[in-house]
Amino acid sequence: MSAALGLAISHPLSFDERLSKSIEYLSYKARSHDANAAYDYVSAIVSEQQKYALYKEMFPKEWSCSRASLYRRGQYEKYSERVNELFHLINERCFPLLEFAHDDPESEFEHFAIPPLNVDLCCEEIYFDNLRTSYAAGLIFYFPDEAWEFLNERLKVSRGAFPEINSDPHPNVWNRKSGSLLGELLRLIDHSTGNPWLDSNYCQTADWYSWDRETIDELTKEFKAANEVFERLGCLDEQIEADPKKMLSALINFWNNGRLPDQRRVKRKRRWRKIQ
Amino acid sequence: MDGRSPLEILIEEGEQINPAILLAEEFMRRDAADLLVAEEIQRAEEILYNARTEIDLIRRQVTAFERSPAHPSPELPLGF
Repeated sequence: MSAALGLAISHPLSFDERLSKSIEYLSYKARSHDANAAYDYVSAIVSEQQKYALYKEMFPKEWSCSRASLYRRGQYEKYSERVNELFHLINERCFPLLEFAHDDPESEFEHFAIPPLNVDLCCEEIYFDNLRTSYAAGLIFYFPDEAWEFLNERLKVSRGAFPEINSDPHPNVWNRKSGSLLGELLRLIDHSTGNPWLDSNYCQTADWYSWDRETIDELTKEFKAANEVFERLGCLDEQIEADPKKMLSALINFWNNGRLPDQRRVKRKRRWRKIQ
Repeated sequence: MDGRSPLEILIEEGEQINPAILLAEEFMRRDAADLLVAEEIQRAEEILYNARTEIDLIRRQVTAFERSPAHPSPELPLGF
């Protein structure tokens, strides 16, 4: 029987794996052999094989040590234990892949969406107490009443002590080459950073990503860059809290006139803090 | 129509097993640890494409068949 099942003795499969393979074979044979079922089966095999190749390429050590089955279904039951292992490795080491699929064993990952890291300003209520000081300050251009009320309470500054705010920002605000933290903050709030983790929100149709090395590498790189943006905001938080009048004036001046005070051009310290 | 009855057309159609069924059988016998190489993946994708084309074609034919109006037979079957 083992020869009929392609279980040649030369294959170093464990008894457990051979049993799993046999069970999968028999359950397939027991089903009606219609073309649709075969199509789905072949599609699933091709999909898993592509993920195995990715696993082996990205995590060669883990692949060679892995005891996860190539046949038994894993936590996400449309995929083998080995593919599930890949999902968890990417989730732990690259970016939060499983955020949307947390408790749903029927989740599919043929194409996947990524969870937005930025604050959703579109439809959700904004909880200013949960925001970074700098982010809350930047909201004076978008939600002035709520933002000034929060800043007044937190930093004891009032709207009347500052210049009028133009309805539209100066074009310099969108210039990414300036290296300015104030510009980075405003682009973050505007969801126009160019980083998919920061520019997406729950209201818009999600972008769907596919399983290839280039996409995984790019999302990993952008996820790291997104976290670095939040890290840099920590520096701006400190500056605003230390001298709110001066920093808010600089922020409004930048919005209205596109001018940056020299000392604000680049001041980047390494520090990690979440936005919410 | 070329004068042939639907039954005659059906009988004269070529018969083949959908290629996905044959490939599924082949994959079932493989060891999953022997990863498919790029050429094999490409071959599988081509077969999937052909399999899907055939599935869709049959589905359309079945749908058309179901929509066909009933026609009375010119001959009275025995027993009626």
